[in-house]
Formats: sequence, structure tokens, C-alpha cells
Amino acid sequence: MLRRNIRLRREYLYRKSLEGKERLLYEKKRKIKEALLEGKPIPTELRNEEAALRQEIDLEDDYTAIPKTHIDDEYANATIRDPKILLTTSRDPSAPLVQFVKELKFVFPNAERMNRGGQVISEIIESCRAHEFTDVILVHEHRGIPDGLIISHLPFGPTAYFGLLNVVTRHDIKDKKAMGTMPEAYPHLILDNFKTKLGERTANILKHLFPVPKPDTKRIVAFANRSDYISFRHHIYEKPGGPKSVELKEIGPRFELRLYQVKLGTMEQSEAQIEWVIRPYMNTTKKRSFIGNDHESDDKRKKIKA
Amino acid sequence: MVTPVEAAVESLRQISTEPPVWLVPKQELSQAVRAASKLLFASLKPHCTKSPFDELLIEGFDAEQIWQQIDLQSQPLLSSLRREVKKFEKHPEEISKLKVDVEGGKKKVLEEIETENVVVNDDDDEDDDIDMDEEDEDEEEEGEEKEKGREEESENEGEEKGGIEDKFLKIKELQEYLEEDEAREFGTNKKKRKAETKKHEEDTEDEEEEGDDEENEDDTDEAEEEEEDELGLFGGDDESDEDDLGNARYEDFFSRKKSKDSEDKAKYRDMLEEDSGSDDEHVDKKRKDGLSKHEKELDELRSKIEQMEKANLDPKVWTMRGEVTAAQRQKNSALEVDLDFEHNVRPAPVITEEVTASLEDLIKTRISEGLFDDVQKAPTLSSKAPREVKELDDNKSKKGLAEIYEEEFVQKTDPASAPLTFSDELKKEASMLFKKLCLKLDALSHFHFTPKPVVEDMSIQTNVPALAMEEIAPMAVSDAAMLAPEEVFSGKGDIKEEAEMTKADRKKRRANKKRKFKAKAAKRPRANTSVRNSDEGSKV
Repeated sequence: MLRRNIRLRREYLYRKSLEGKERLLYEKKRKIKEALLEGKPIPTELRNEEAALRQEIDLEDDYTAIPKTHIDDEYANATIRDPKILLTTSRDPSAPLVQFVKELKFVFPNAERMNRGGQVISEIIESCRAHEFTDVILVHEHRGIPDGLIISHLPFGPTAYFGLLNVVTRHDIKDKKAMGTMPEAYPHLILDNFKTKLGERTANILKHLFPVPKPDTKRIVAFANRSDYISFRHHIYEKPGGPKSVELKEIGPRFELRLYQVKLGTMEQSEAQIEWVIRPYMNTTKKRSFIGNDHESDDKRKKIKA
Repeated sequence: MVTPVEAAVESLRQISTEPPVWLVPKQELSQAVRAASKLLFASLKPHCTKSPFDELLIEGFDAEQIWQQIDLQSQPLLSSLRREVKKFEKHPEEISKLKVDVEGGKKKVLEEIETENVVVNDDDDEDDDIDMDEEDEDEEEEGEEKEKGREEESENEGEEKGGIEDKFLKIKELQEYLEEDEAREFGTNKKKRKAETKKHEEDTEDEEEEGDDEENEDDTDEAEEEEEDELGLFGGDDESDEDDLGNARYEDFFSRKKSKDSEDKAKYRDMLEEDSGSDDEHVDKKRKDGLSKHEKELDELRSKIEQMEKANLDPKVWTMRGEVTAAQRQKNSALEVDLDFEHNVRPAPVITEEVTASLEDLIKTRISEGLFDDVQKAPTLSSKAPREVKELDDNKSKKGLAEIYEEEFVQKTDPASAPLTFSDELKKEASMLFKKLCLKLDALSHFHFTPKPVVEDMSIQTNVPALAMEEIAPMAVSDAAMLAPEEVFSGKGDIKEEAEMTKADRKKRRANKKRKFKAKAAKRPRANTSVRNSDEGSKV
């Protein structure tokens, strides 16, 4: 197990180191392709290597043309196997936090909840790797109100740090009878307005927490991004009067997620490279949207469609 | 009973103040002045405890020596006076205690001093004349004499006050107003200092600056006065007590009531202090009753102006001070202020009905369209090649086992001469057939078909080590390698090392390289549409 880990880690690092060279090659090939397409002369710095590169270009197909980053490797196996999630809290959780985590356990299919006790993070992650978990989710709180969510993908994968806002749990809603029990079928996913590169990355991270659903499930989990705040909604739908009518019934907790950091290692690797971190004191932060596109509205899209 | 001060003043009065008198040094004039100064010295003597002289020694001494005697007396006096001043600075209430005693005597002193000053401001011409005199006579004598002269003059002019005053300008009212105003503004020590410096002004002007001081007196001569403050302190106190004011007391000059010049007012604006004491209010009340409406308004305005000026001069409130750390302001003072920050992050979205409704609409549309962002199962790339299913041949093998082993052995030792196995033959035949087929197809399909040149089937010489090629039996005898060295060598012509090349060789090499490159570039245009450009580019 240990040796396998070492080997995997070394492969990962090696491929990460190759990335730079591959990227260069890819850039050169791209430039040649462009020059050929537009009928312009090939840039002078590529003259020597042009013939060899041209051969390679001819041999490429769609799959090999795009340079693979190690980031993609993180989710390479995700589609093959179903995700397995471990849910825990920070130390000494309060009762509302424990309830919230219990709810989350039903939200994510194939999730396990574990009492935190006095375990150290590195221990938790080691044991998760040993038991073939794919993700670890940690929930933090402030005086009973959940306020932090850390999603860590396991083999070496990225860690996303979210802040939780406007949390409404199922336990808050007094009318238990009306809510009913929570279905446990694999849900359909809706990810809206994840347009930028960082947005795609976040969408990826959130997407791979869920397994491949059956096409006819009635359960919907929606992550909608509005000005860098991702709203989480959990519904069940029915089509009472034919295919066009849809009736939604909200179940499950509802909260807003605010991404503040993405790291390129697991939670325990404190020295891992930071892929993105929020910059709240930058002067132009207010005007920029990092995850999605705030200015395009759906109406515009509909108009264009029509 | 004539007090020594009165006597001294009287003697001063006797000295003539006609300017022409002073132009020529006269014995009797100097005698009179010396006598007067002796009397003044004597009058000061009771205040001064440490002076070695009982009286000013005049006979046989020249101006310098007389001056030094005066200096000896006045130096300790000055320091003691300064101490007193400081004491009053710290405890202003003591002044009021003092004041009560000498109210009566002081008033006269006040008036006279004020008139003197008022007159002094007007007497520019006379003072200029007096200043001119300085150049002729002894400095010290002149200093004293001029001072006294001026005082005399002013006194003389005092009677002619009526000329200045008329129904509009009442000196008395002016004095009262100034008094009240200054009483409001200035602290006690300022009054003291003012009194001193006013005296100092007159002295030091005589001794140092000629004529300018008169004008400066009218304007604000703050810097000057502060400079002269020190110097003035030396000479001034002397004269101040020797004034013509008979009951001149210490309290007269170091009490608040005795506020003098209007220009001093301007000077002392810098050294503002809170006024305290009932006297002020007492004075103010008296004033207010007698004021007209306009004057009242003016008073209000002035008080407002003073307040604002005072506020400007105070150290600013911490909220106005720019960068303020917690140590520089009061504890918890930041809680009282309404602080406003510019936040650079978008605030958290408030979940209203509309927001929820919009989200639900989005979800509904997605559901009705069936557009979900689920995880897709990736198409499994078959990484392995399709396994070759080997068919087992059921027929009996035609070769015997010994033959099979023989073939294997031969193959290992002598790869070239091994007889082709059955499968190889089949393969060769198949490839020959295929080549023929391709040739025919090419001939049919290509526009510019050039048939491949027929190659004579030559035996291929492989450059294998000699050991492999030789006969099995005689191992020791080594055959030469099948290929000669020239045939192995893949270079051309005379090979020279980098160092051995001559210049001509190098040039030749470069020319060859360029030729090759040009040839390649010329060939390339067939694939690259823009022929001209690439050629021109290379030329440039």
C-alpha cells in the first residue's frame, strides 16, 4: 500500500513536471497550425523544428491534440467508479452542526458520516485513502450555524474551501410531516453559470461528488452561481399534467456557498500549491466575477436562441 | 512724603526735552541726567536685595561704568522678577489677591501708561529726531535720557489729549474696551509679559533699532518682540519701576487688569489661555449695559471669531487627524463615532422570494428541457489491441521434431542463411501480391503517376560481426567483415576536424549548408501555399 502510494505520487509528480514541456510543444504546434490555416509564413523561431512538428500534427487526433494537465488526471477515474464520500465536522461539534451533517449525508449518495472525536486531519485522510474513499467533506460551524465546507478529493486531488451563508436546515422547518422522508435515488445535477476557467473547475469538483444517475430520477440537486455566490437547492419534481408542466417540491437543506480557496493538494498538505484564492481587498474585486458571468442574463440567451 | 520714585520722576521731569538741547553735549545736561539716574537707582534699591552698591556712583565715572553699575543691580532683580512671573503663570489666582490691594494706585498708573502708549504711536516724528541723537552721544546716556524724554513728552502731551479726542473717539472708552477685550482673551501672565515687553520695546528700540520700531509697533511685530523679549527683560524692568507712576507696585504690572497695547493683543493670540475669574464677568457685565446694538453685534461676532480661531489652534479631534492608532485616541472612542468603510466585496445575497422564484424557474426549465449537467460515463478506450486468437492446427506437423530443432538452432547462430520458414514464405508472397495491387491502383488513381523504379533484387549485405558469418568449424580463423570500411562510412570526401579547417573550407561548408537549405525551401512551397513569402523571408 505504501509503495503503491509512493509510486502513484511519483507518477503524478512526473507528469506534472512534464506538463511544462508538453505545453510548450502544444503551443508550437498550435502556432504552426494557425499559420498554415491563415496562409501566413511560419514564425521564424519554429523554422528548424517545423518539419518534425508538422508530421506530429498530421498524426494527431482529437484526443491527443489537447495537452493533458495533471488536473485532469485527478478526475480521470471518477467516471469509472462511483464516488465514495466521508463526512465529518470540526472538533467538538454542537448539536445543530451534527444534525446538519446528518442531512448532508442524505444529500450526497454513497456518503458516510463519521464522528470527529480527537482525530487529526492527516490521520483521517490516510485512512480514507486506504479505504478507497474518493472525497472527504469537512463541515465547520460558528455557534451552531454551519459556516464552512471543505471538499477534498482524495487520491491527490484538489481541495476546495467554501464558506456557507444563509443556511436553512431541514431541522429548522418544524413541519416534519410535510417534508416527508428524503429519497435516496441518485439525483440529476444542474450547474448554472459556471463560465470561467475557475468556474469550470469548481463545477467539476462539485459534479464529481455525485454518481452517474439513472435518466428517470425525480431528484434534482441544483448549484446556481449568482455573482460568485453558489446557491444550493435540493428538489423533487413531478410532472402532474403532461411533460411540460413541472411541479417542484423543495426538500433538503438550502445554503449559499462562497468559494474562497482552491488548493492543488489534499487537505493535509499544507504546503500544496494554491490554485486560486479570494482577494477581497483588491480594488477591482467588486467589479470582477470569478466563477461565472454576471452580465449575461438568461433573457439574452433566450433571445438569441429564438 | 516724597517717595524715592516720585523724586526720581520729578528729577526726570526737570530735564529739558527740547530736541535742539540734545544736539550738543552739555555738561549741565549730563549732570542732570546722571542725578536723575542716581535717584532712580536709589528708588529701585529697596526691591533689590543683592546689589553691592548702595547708590549709583556718578562722580568721575564714565558712561560705561555707570551702565555696568546699573546692570549689576538689575540682573538679580530681573531674575527674581522672572521667577515671580513664572509663579504667577502657574497660579493666576494669586494675582487677583494682589490686585485688590493696589486698586486705587494702579488705576492712575494704568491711565497714564495707556495714554503714553496711545501717544507714543502717534509720535513718529519726534522719535525719529530722538533716534538721530543717538549717534552723537553716549549710548547709555541717550538710552535712558531718550526714554525719559519720551515719557516726559508724552506726559506733556497728556494735557493736550483733548486735541486727539473728539465726540467720536473717546480715549477712555477705547481704553476700557481694550481692557475688557484683553481681559477676556489673555491670561494673567500674558498681561505681565505684555507689560514687560511693552517697556522692553521702548528700551530696545532705542538701543538697537532706529526708527523702524515705531512703525513696527503699529503692526504686529511678533517675532521681533519675542526676540527682544529676552533683551527687553534686562532693561525694561528698570525703567518700569522708575516710571512717573508714583504708586507703581509690582501688582500694577502683573495683574490682569493692566492690559495695554492693541498690538500686543495680536501678538498674544498665539499664547491663548483660558480666562478665569469673576473679575472678567464683572467687567463684561458693566460693558454690556453700556453698549449699543451694533457694538453688541460686533461683540458677538468677535466672540464667535475668537471661538473659531481657538478651535483652529487647538489640536484636532482624533477623527480629523488622519491615521490614528488606538493609542492616540481615548479608550472606546471609536464606538461613539459612526465609521464608514468602503467594502470591496459584494455582500452576501439576501434570499428573497424573487430569488427563490427565479431559481425555481431555472430548475423547471432545465427539467422540461432535460438538460442536466450529470457526470457522464466516459467511453472506455480499449487500450489493448484485439487479442489474436490463434487457431490451433489439428493436422499433424509435416516436419519431424529433429528438423524443427535444427531450424531453430540455425536461426540462432546464423540468422541470415537460415532457410525461410514456411510462414515467412507465405508472408513474402502475400506482400508481393499486395505491392503489385497497390501499383496498379496508383496507376489508375493518381494524375501524375510515376512508377517506382524496379529494383534489382540484390542480396543484402548485412554488416554483422564476422564471427556470425564465418563457418562453424574453424573458429579461430576470422574472416574479414563482410562490408569494407568504406562501405560502412557514411560521410563524404575528406573529413577534417573543426580545428584543421582552413577559412576556405569553412566558407565552402557554409555555402553547402545554404545551398541545401535553399533546396529544401524550394521544395517546401509545394505544401506551403505562399511560395513567394517564404523565399523572400529567407532572403531577408
